[in-house]
Amino acid sequence: MQAADWTKTGVKGELTYSTFGCNPFQESNFPTPDRVAPDVNVERHMDVSLELPTPDGQKIRVWTFTDPLAPTVAGRAPMHPAPLMRFRQGQIVHSTLDPKKNAHTLHHHGIEPTTVNDGVGHVSFEVNARYTYQFRPSRAGTFFYHCHRNTPLHFEMGMFGPMIVDPPEGPGTLFSGGPKYDVERLLVLDDMDPRWHTLEHDAGMCGLDVGLNRFDPKYFLANGVFNNRTTTDPRVVINAKLGQTILIRLLNASYSVLETTIGLPGICHSMDGCSLGTEPWSSPLPLPANRPFTMSSAQRRDIIIRPTARGTFPVRFRFLHWVNGKVQDNGRGIVDTRIIVS
Amino acid sequence: MDRRKFLKASAVVVGAAALPAMATAQTTGGTFDLTIEAVDSEMIDGVFVFSLMFFDRSQEGRPILEVTEGDIVTINVTNLDTRPHGFGIPGIPAASVASIPPGGSATVRFTAPVGGTYMYIDPTLAPLNRILGLYGAFIVHPKLGTTAAGSPTPYSRSTHTPQVAALFDALGVHKRFPGNKWVPRDVERDKLWLFSQVDPLIAARVDAGEVIPPASVVPSFLPRYFMINGLSGYDTAPHKIDASLDWSKGSGRIMPHGREGQPTLIRNMNAGLCTHSPHIHGNHIFKLSDTRANGTVVLNTSCYELDAWPMEPMARRDVLLPFEKPIDAVVWPPKEEPFPMRYVMHCHTEMSQTAGGGNYPQGMVTHWEMTGPL
Ligand SMILES: [Cu+2]
Ligand SMILES: [Cu+2]
Repeated sequence: MQAADWTKTGVKGELTYSTFGCNPFQESNFPTPDRVAPDVNVERHMDVSLELPTPDGQKIRVWTFTDPLAPTVAGRAPMHPAPLMRFRQGQIVHSTLDPKKNAHTLHHHGIEPTTVNDGVGHVSFEVNARYTYQFRPSRAGTFFYHCHRNTPLHFEMGMFGPMIVDPPEGPGTLFSGGPKYDVERLLVLDDMDPRWHTLEHDAGMCGLDVGLNRFDPKYFLANGVFNNRTTTDPRVVINAKLGQTILIRLLNASYSVLETTIGLPGICHSMDGCSLGTEPWSSPLPLPANRPFTMSSAQRRDIIIRPTARGTFPVRFRFLHWVNGKVQDNGRGIVDTRIIVS
Repeated sequence: MDRRKFLKASAVVVGAAALPAMATAQTTGGTFDLTIEAVDSEMIDGVFVFSLMFFDRSQEGRPILEVTEGDIVTINVTNLDTRPHGFGIPGIPAASVASIPPGGSATVRFTAPVGGTYMYIDPTLAPLNRILGLYGAFIVHPKLGTTAAGSPTPYSRSTHTPQVAALFDALGVHKRFPGNKWVPRDVERDKLWLFSQVDPLIAARVDAGEVIPPASVVPSFLPRYFMINGLSGYDTAPHKIDASLDWSKGSGRIMPHGREGQPTLIRNMNAGLCTHSPHIHGNHIFKLSDTRANGTVVLNTSCYELDAWPMEPMARRDVLLPFEKPIDAVVWPPKEEPFPMRYVMHCHTEMSQTAGGGNYPQGMVTHWEMTGPL
């Protein structure tokens, strides 16, 4: 691999109106600077072939990242959301993007590496062949990854997946010195506007008006499950035994203001991948039962729940419009699920 | 548009130095002279949209008014528009005048309250006149802003929470924050992100003389342009940094810039109708303040870290960008990667990353840069 020519990137290249947005810098096989031996390798390819059957009998095309290194055929197949990345705090991670066709990027959201490992085209470059992003997660918590090319469209199309960083102790502890848990449920909330899913890869770039300022979602999902099945689907419903501690990792991957109401009291112990209460300027936040709280797009909340009685407890997500605050799709923008304590 | 002000905002055409955006108003004895004027304002894609704006003597739109706690502040407002307007600063009841007829003037006089970030607006026909562009920043510096331990903060000591004091005391001392304390009244350490959105259809209807019922604004609002301090996309960051760059105005007031260890305050406000979710790369921010329902500033009792935070309409929320080393970098300082480290801030409610209906991305985005290690 040739040494990096920084003048071909947004790092030292001229940032013009065009390279800022319309034609961001692109590079092939750009060498990772300060590359060191990794502790863990992940790889993601881009896939545009996935079609999800919707509750109203339609099919909606989503784009996703696939995991070519997964040990099973099913694990290598396109899925929505894209496959989980899970690392240990302090590991050196090499996360390789092969976009296969067209340029994309990987931004590991909430991870704070150097500029060229951050996956934003106009300040570095977009990847049109292969690039290995290098970082060492220093915080345990809930993150995600997504494409940062034509981001409004590519993120909405499904080019994202969740990411968890465990403390050195491993799963079962939220962060070192923090709460332990027995049952873990990651919940990724998403909304889709079917009009957007008919657009081309570069739709809206370079001044073309394709109406990306308008977002009218018709489909509402948790963990890729449409909201007609979220109260029963085992990918969403939370099952615990009395005496167990539940960790819910929430990710608002929608373009709505997400209002969550949980029928059990909990405590928020971390937000956006950062622990609360480990330093004197912050503290964990109690969440009384049935008191709604909101998260704007891309926020995460890690909530610990310790049920004190058996029963079935509702969890409701209302997707609110960013201007009028009403529930999206004339009140239909709701995902319900349950916590079943047996 | 005969005698109307004609504001070319785009750096693409005129070069960054000429950007007519949000200079700090010079005050003489705490007196500001503002006018309300109709403007044809250029969007990032070259389209001109009818707007209403506050101006001051410097002819720069939406001046940033900066005062010190306890100052006797006088604001003279002259309405040069053809419609009645008003003036108000939520959280400062005395700074309010209900209606100024076309051609008329009014004066508000009040004592500057405790340190914090406020917004002046035209509250008449709310939210219509505000979203047409009648808003600006009013910043109150504290008289005694230091913590008991002597660390400078942007807030009056009487309002400090233990958590805000602990955070500012940790700067330059705690192992996470080697480097400097926060520096008051340094425009490089005190940034402003005043978010807004423009709906050209509503603007055109007002320009055509239509009387729009205020209650119909929210249901019909379809923004096509999204800005910070009246600028979008490429224009929100200075792309040439030299000794001539004025950090007190335009994109210089938006873009955080400095070495590792130079913590920077960012005053967030939202004059628009969209709930934004500003998302910053490279560092998390610490949430410092919120506003009470009556508009006064409240300091947080938990200054937790976020990489995305909600900014609902009329929200005012200060955050601290610590300028920590990017904590997940493997090699620091980098040997094979040059400075500056440059990171974006964009709104994760991604419709705001568009302009004129498409993604340039020339929407509500800027970046910040770290020019070197400690
Ligand atoms: Cu992409
Ligand atoms: Cu993101």
